[in-house]
Amino acid sequence: MTGSHAVFGQEAKDAAELVVDIINNELGGIKSLCGAKIQLVVQDSGETPDDARLAAERLISTEHPVIVIGAYISRNTAAVAEVTEREKVILVMDGLVDDLTKQGWQYVFRAAPKASAHGATAAKFVIEMAQQKGLTINSAVILNEDSIFGTYVGDGAKMELLRNGIHVAAHITYPYDITDFSSIINQIKSINPDIIISVPYFNDGVLFAKAVQQAGLHPMFIAGAGGCGYTDPDSIQAAGDAVLYYTNTYSYNFARPTQWNQKIVNEFKQRYGKIPTEAGGIIFYSMFTIYAALEKAGEMFPNDPLNPDNLKQAFLALDLTDDNSIAAQLYPSGHIKFGPDGDNLYAEATVAQVQEINGTLKPVIVWPDAEPGVQPIFPRPDWQGAD
Amino acid sequence: MIDPALITNNLIDGVLMGLLYSLVALGLSLVFGLMDIINFAHGDFVMIAAYTTWVIAMMLYVDPSVTAIITVPLFFVIGLAIYKIIIEPILGAEPLIQIAVTVGLGYVLQNLALAYFRAGPRSFPAPWFNYSIQIGPIGIAVSKLIAAAVSLASLFIINYMLVNTKFGLAVRATSANREVAPLMGINVRKVFAITFGLGIALTALGAALYMMWGQTNPYLGQSFSLLSWVIVAMGGLGGVMGVLYSGLIVGVLEALGSTFVSPSARLAVVYLAFFFILWFRPRGLFGRR
Amino acid sequence: MEFSKAVRKDILAVIALVLAMAAIPFAIGFERYYLLILSTATVFAIYVVAWNIIGGYAGQLDLAAFVYSSLGGIVAARLMVYYGITPWIGMFAGAGVAAALAAIIGYPTFRFGIKEVWYALLTASLVVIVREIMHMPEFLGSLDYRLPWKYMGWYWLRFPTYEQLYWVLVAVLGATMLINVWISNSKIGYYLKAIREDELAAEALGVDVRKYKLIALVTYAAILGFAGYLHISLNGVYTYKNFDSAQSIAVAIMGIIGGLGSIAGAFTSAITLKIVGEYLRSSFGAVIPGLHLLIYGILLIVVGIFKPEGLASVIEWFKKKVGWGGEG
Repeated sequence: MTGSHAVFGQEAKDAAELVVDIINNELGGIKSLCGAKIQLVVQDSGETPDDARLAAERLISTEHPVIVIGAYISRNTAAVAEVTEREKVILVMDGLVDDLTKQGWQYVFRAAPKASAHGATAAKFVIEMAQQKGLTINSAVILNEDSIFGTYVGDGAKMELLRNGIHVAAHITYPYDITDFSSIINQIKSINPDIIISVPYFNDGVLFAKAVQQAGLHPMFIAGAGGCGYTDPDSIQAAGDAVLYYTNTYSYNFARPTQWNQKIVNEFKQRYGKIPTEAGGIIFYSMFTIYAALEKAGEMFPNDPLNPDNLKQAFLALDLTDDNSIAAQLYPSGHIKFGPDGDNLYAEATVAQVQEINGTLKPVIVWPDAEPGVQPIFPRPDWQGAD
Repeated sequence: MIDPALITNNLIDGVLMGLLYSLVALGLSLVFGLMDIINFAHGDFVMIAAYTTWVIAMMLYVDPSVTAIITVPLFFVIGLAIYKIIIEPILGAEPLIQIAVTVGLGYVLQNLALAYFRAGPRSFPAPWFNYSIQIGPIGIAVSKLIAAAVSLASLFIINYMLVNTKFGLAVRATSANREVAPLMGINVRKVFAITFGLGIALTALGAALYMMWGQTNPYLGQSFSLLSWVIVAMGGLGGVMGVLYSGLIVGVLEALGSTFVSPSARLAVVYLAFFFILWFRPRGLFGRR
Repeated sequence: MEFSKAVRKDILAVIALVLAMAAIPFAIGFERYYLLILSTATVFAIYVVAWNIIGGYAGQLDLAAFVYSSLGGIVAARLMVYYGITPWIGMFAGAGVAAALAAIIGYPTFRFGIKEVWYALLTASLVVIVREIMHMPEFLGSLDYRLPWKYMGWYWLRFPTYEQLYWVLVAVLGATMLINVWISNSKIGYYLKAIREDELAAEALGVDVRKYKLIALVTYAAILGFAGYLHISLNGVYTYKNFDSAQSIAVAIMGIIGGLGSIAGAFTSAITLKIVGEYLRSSFGAVIPGLHLLIYGILLIVVGIFKPEGLASVIEWFKKKVGWGGEG
């Protein structure tokens, strides 16, 4: 991926290379297929659907893959899916937009939680926290960047808040390439909500957090929804203590204390010098799900495991849990099983919060299960209380 | 009903941002007015300067505004080099060719930044002036206030220089008549090179000020390029003052669009206004030859 | 109708080119990846050859190509999805809407004498304005729209493979070239060239400058509006992001590199740059992010500095060398 999405493509590619090395070298390839190795071919899906479709055709005509994974951006995924459906190639999607699994496509699967679930997770988190602390949330403001992803996440959060009877005082949208947040901050200030749920694209998160700090805005809590912008290492490095106590919702739990998850996070850290976050995490469990599906296909259809319809059956037959798979150990809920539309029935997102640990700012998983030795910090310590 | 304090706050921010926009657009206006060079990569120099500012700020761990002491002279030299290599060969070429070449230059700068810095946001984590002055319901961001003040001062200094120095005289004479200027003993090429260098140096100053609260990524320049051109078009060749007023108009229009329509629509509001201004005042609001 | 000898030669050249392009799928054994590259390149060739009318003949640097093509394409796609109207009709409706927008924008613009860099800026802003308007919830909002799977075949101009759509694109390209040939050899083309050379002189001679510029703009917009659906059909998805600034500028750049006013140059430049761009993306895109765009940028600078007359001059030289006349 190039263009304004390049940041996601890089981590996904790094993660995929790591996983393929592990499967081929440590696990000895796909055992039920006589130790066949996985070959990773990476194509840049470019910026436009034109490019994405070309990338898909090129992959398929020159490499004849049985499974394609990608293309993160919704409209590019759509362009790719038309090709993979025609060729009956399985497409494991790492794009989160809800309606990607509602197109009637037959050969698509998605393990990751969808966009609206991210929004709902952020809302559920603040509601549950407020209940625990005996606080009442009188009003909330939702703020999302206005791409299709941000819109689905923002709407998901809004639904969840409204369902719990919380007044949504404003729902503000803005373009991801915004250069100045002051008019939005001024608006939020004049509303003075208890809760802000913010769906940043990526770079805008840093800008927002700094503007909040500068304006001296002190709400009860600011929760981010979606996988980055506040708690990823790049954002923490760029924003410093402006993002302290902010949260993000992740499709991945890098702190999950399972054996394989710890191992992969450590190896990723060693190789690339940072912890894997959203884009990398989705690739981890998606790739290991593919690994499990290939094993399954080898067992179920020893004569023709790579036939697309057989592969599809294998995907549908998977019921991965912590005990029987690597993929589920990497997954937030520890359970992957695909429904008929290709979405994971046990999809779950987690909440990470930026906390100061031993003098450095670090993202830690705080919800639904806080990682050992960590408590969610709620409300924000600088909150001046209900007025 | 929209809160009057909100409108006031937004207008103040609009004015402060507008002054910064003027500073960034001034270089473009000088270069275009003097040598008819159409530079579509102007914003990308802001982006490259913002990265340079960030690198230096992180190294010395000082506020980005301080780095201007290093980046402004550095970008003056970079500007001279770019002038020699890329701009001089297309002097007098058709506008379309100039646009093609500078768009190509923009691609090069963006993708160099992408290859080297990758796409994540870069920002200085411990800015010095990240607080506000609160006067009743009105809050003014100190970093923006500083940026606006420095921008305004720079605009006046440049204006003074154009009016009162020998170099300023040479610039004005050359832009009035390029054929006659050499006869008056003016080295036109030298005037061009210095002016282009100055224009690029101003983007470095703008970037250092913007980085006091902002962040940079390889595509930051796209936000500044077209906006700077809109300011130049509105200002016409009204000199420094034309650019100053146009920048303020753009800043205020953004604030109004953000307040009364939506933050997403603020650019559409600016460009629509630009449309009508260009239609009804084709020579710009503040005169053009 | 009587044609002069030169015009007849041009028409024959276009027909020969169309037939040759139509035969390519057979030559490459219907290899889908190459057919898709060709189809995408042909879409851009249509845009660039159409752009030649406003940019090349009339000399107006229009940077709003994707406003017209996306608007027309989305009109046709919406008629198809919501009203079950075949794109064979929808594409004409799309052309009509695009032409109407061009007339609304163009009339005051030319009336007030906006030209050169100001015209370029105006059209560049137009892309942003239309994109932001379309992005409002009342229009397209933030959603992606996909052409449904069930609409396949000649009636819907949607195909699971590319050769059929490619042939349609080649036919549209041929028609666009013929329109160019006709304009270039008619009174309109004669006046347009006079305007490009010296607008004041043309006006003094009694040429209605505004009228002919407007004709050029509307013709260009109508062709783009017509072809827009074919582009959307190729990808199967459209959003407000189809109103794309970078791609609009790319169309103009291809036109400039081709050489203003040259049909052969416009065609060659669009096809070559698109294919080179795709080669760079597929070979280097995943190795170093942005490397292909970097090389593309260097290419633009080098061509702009060293060959400002564009590819047309190379083609002219080649024609002289082999003694082959043609359009130009």
